[in-house]
Amino acid sequence: MSETDHPPDDGATEDRSSDEFEPIQVFPEAEAMDLRPGADNCYKCSTCDTNCPVAEVDDEFPGPKFQGPEQWRLKRQDDHDVDESVMKCSNCMRCDSACPSEVPLSQMHNTARGEYIEERMSRFSREYLRNRLLANYRRLAPLAATFPRTANFVMGLSVTQWLGEKTLGITSERELPDFATETFREWWTERGGPAVESEAKQIAYFHGCYANYNTPEVAKALVRVYEHFGYEIMIPEQDCSGTPMFANGMLEDARRAAETNVAELAAALEDGADIVASCSSCSMSIRQEYPELFDFEGTAEVAANTWDALEYLRVHEDLEAELADASLEGDEYDEFAYHAPCHARNQGLDGQTVDVLEAIDGVEAEDVGDSCSGISGTYGWKAENYETSMKIGAAMFEHMEGAEAEQGLTECPTCSMQMGHGTGYEITHTLEILEAALVGDAGAA
Amino acid sequence: MATDTEVLVLGGGSTGCGIARDLAMRGLEVTLVERGNLTDGTTGRMHGLLHSGGRYAVSDQASATECIEENEILRDIAGHCVEETGGLFVQLPDDSDDYFREKLEGCRDCNIPARVLSGREAREIEPYLTPDIERAIEVPDGAVDPFRLCVANAVDAEAHGARIETHAEVIDLLRDGADVYGVDVRHDSGPGKRRHAAPGSTEEITAEYVVNATGAWAGQIAAMADLEVAVRPSKGVMTIMNVRQVDTVINRCRPKGDADIVVPHETTAILGTTDEEVSDPDDYPEAQWEVDQVIDTLADLVPILEEARTIRSFWGVRPLYEPPGTATQDPTDITRDFFLLDHAERDGVSGLSSIVGGKFTTYRAMAEEISDHVCGKLGVDATCATAEEPLPGSENLAVLEDGMDEFGLRSPVARRSKQRLGSRASDVLETDDANPVLCACEGVTRAEVRDAIQQSGTDLNAVRIRTRASMGNCQGGFCSQLLATELHPEYDEATARSALDELFQERWKGQRHALWGEQLSQAMVTYALHATTMNRDRDPAASDGSLEYGAFDDGEVR
Repeated sequence: MSETDHPPDDGATEDRSSDEFEPIQVFPEAEAMDLRPGADNCYKCSTCDTNCPVAEVDDEFPGPKFQGPEQWRLKRQDDHDVDESVMKCSNCMRCDSACPSEVPLSQMHNTARGEYIEERMSRFSREYLRNRLLANYRRLAPLAATFPRTANFVMGLSVTQWLGEKTLGITSERELPDFATETFREWWTERGGPAVESEAKQIAYFHGCYANYNTPEVAKALVRVYEHFGYEIMIPEQDCSGTPMFANGMLEDARRAAETNVAELAAALEDGADIVASCSSCSMSIRQEYPELFDFEGTAEVAANTWDALEYLRVHEDLEAELADASLEGDEYDEFAYHAPCHARNQGLDGQTVDVLEAIDGVEAEDVGDSCSGISGTYGWKAENYETSMKIGAAMFEHMEGAEAEQGLTECPTCSMQMGHGTGYEITHTLEILEAALVGDAGAA
Repeated sequence: MATDTEVLVLGGGSTGCGIARDLAMRGLEVTLVERGNLTDGTTGRMHGLLHSGGRYAVSDQASATECIEENEILRDIAGHCVEETGGLFVQLPDDSDDYFREKLEGCRDCNIPARVLSGREAREIEPYLTPDIERAIEVPDGAVDPFRLCVANAVDAEAHGARIETHAEVIDLLRDGADVYGVDVRHDSGPGKRRHAAPGSTEEITAEYVVNATGAWAGQIAAMADLEVAVRPSKGVMTIMNVRQVDTVINRCRPKGDADIVVPHETTAILGTTDEEVSDPDDYPEAQWEVDQVIDTLADLVPILEEARTIRSFWGVRPLYEPPGTATQDPTDITRDFFLLDHAERDGVSGLSSIVGGKFTTYRAMAEEISDHVCGKLGVDATCATAEEPLPGSENLAVLEDGMDEFGLRSPVARRSKQRLGSRASDVLETDDANPVLCACEGVTRAEVRDAIQQSGTDLNAVRIRTRASMGNCQGGFCSQLLATELHPEYDEATARSALDELFQERWKGQRHALWGEQLSQAMVTYALHATTMNRDRDPAASDGSLEYGAFDDGEVR
């Protein structure tokens, strides 16, 4: 600053009265958020680093302690050169649970990643386009769902996969998930909406994208199980939960999606419903990431009243008693190798599935350990991360193969893809077992 | 051992190093002696404010004018030591409108660029300021690293032929009748670079002229030659926060008062200060209530400070002085101007001048005036060039800013390293060897640490002030042993060990005043780490007895 930049400003002392108080938007953009004070909580114990699945297999990755508190502490207001290594973070959020001192690690990573994309990644780069595409899978899915058979055929072609790898950097090692011939929402409309009406027991179901477009059987299972317990189900309008967008640093896309979701879910709350989700990353996003990154009206209330579908039943119903009489015959339900997704783990839900299924006669679920599956949403789809992703998943694959079961069980769509990819097993969602145990085939109407 | 020099400067703070550089650049033969490390006295114990002069714009306009002039010079010659943060004088509802107006007018009188911001505008610049703020005056205050600046002066003085001796304590000021002709010094570990465990020695250094630039200690030095210099040392506490809550210097806009400034400093923010006269600059109480008071008062300006983590506190002693007969009661009223006491005029004793008073921002101007005086005494005709010649590290900074080279380091580490090293960055950081980060808190790499060891020998505190290694939130808990390891194999294990102990002790000293909340957890983690992984609570290597290796078994055979 020199004298000529700021000439003495003679009028300024007099116009004080015109300076009326206006509340100011301190953080106009999520990217501008100052998280340096969060570094105060870190005493560098490195527990986060020892719990980071990426750091465990990739020596080049500096780990969450650097990504989070150290990088933020070294930052000045005008610095915008977030280190590129933040793109190697898979956003599994294990560091959040590992930290004994409440450092807002994933919030720091999400914000830094957003800033990296904003400031350092070219809008025209292959990586940006690929990430934008993966993050916004929700935008493409309706098209594929309109012509599901064609889409599945085209995506299954090896030439498509080859092109995907060459032009977009999407690994050709994986098979893209199939699209359902009928989406969940189409089924719901066809069905005529809720089959149970209740003033007292209402839930708003956040099905997310995957259960709508790819695995409507999971969403249908939720409907039948909840209706079995007498709940009236609402299916509010909804956008992507934002999980893939956070992980790709597309904070503006996430903000738009979250704004829709918060408004719709807040309205459902207003109507007396609680919110449940069948995907552990969707519930994680609404509960933790929304309040950390956004401040739309109702964000806190929506976050505080969102539940995982199984958790909600365990708290509000006598699930154990209900299941005491249930039994499932046959190999189909006999043994499962269960993997708790990181995002369920972070919500403190990693033990519940094995507990609940224990009550069902004829069903055995064996926990395959606390390792990360390695795919972390869109992370393992990127050609450059594929190898890391499979290295992280190796422990889980090994434990799955060591277990009695010949099939897998989880609540996260992409963990499910990884489990299937690594072992060749069929992977089921927990709600599908509950549906079979409580409703049986009778519900399949 | 005896040596002779043309000019002998006592004191390795900003004034002494500034004088040594100035005189050496004018072609004089200079020796500087310092009791501890460079900056160990008052220079290393200031809040790091590069004054715009705004602070003195009402009470002392001569000082204010001098500050803005020097502020602009230092931005040019010491760009790598200065961060151009800007500063705000913030008015809260209780603060007087009249004073605000006087401050603004004072700035204009002194040619200090100043403009008024509304409360809202000020909060846009600094979101963590209290919402109560009425308005603010923006001035070109800055942040300066006193360590780096002082070292750069010393390094440049050496480059111009000066001899700089640290850890060389003056034990006698030699006087023969009405003439001071030199000093006796005690070298802690022999002359030259510090080397732990090397035997100490004494040296007589004679000189044509002696400059007593020992600041708060000037009275003690003068007394060795039976001269009286009535310095009135005044202590002030400064508290270092773990992160920067603000990126602009924040001053409270009201007449003198304790605890009215927050200075963003490197990765931290420094809160200051208090002003209380003490009798001995080496021995005064450091009380917890002083720290508490500073935090509480400044939380009115920046509320988040109330909950923020403090990593250490330190006290500095101002070398205040006023001419005999002034008898000001309150130390805050004593002038911040400096005084050149020519003992020939004053006491009829030739060969010696003492410098007292003054402030860091104007160190160069003080050095210039004193150097002119010394040249006059010695009949040397040479002009001062320190206002134009950049310090080592500050040449061609624009080139560095444009340079995209990150030296294979992660972005924030590269950025902070380049800021510390300035134009020396490529010389230091370009290496074919592996260059891991040794101090993760401050982003200091092995190459930078080795460069500092080259400069200063085994003294890890000297490495610290050059690099900031161990100055972050763990206060050396995770890095001090890594720094010590870098001394090996050039220095032996015992030397590395005592260098480590000394650094660790120094880090602990300041942390004692921050042991609550997170910093207490930090201290506990550090203790556990050092005790369990290095045996540093009961280190057999530190005891005299030999270890009975036979008592260990071979472990379980598998």
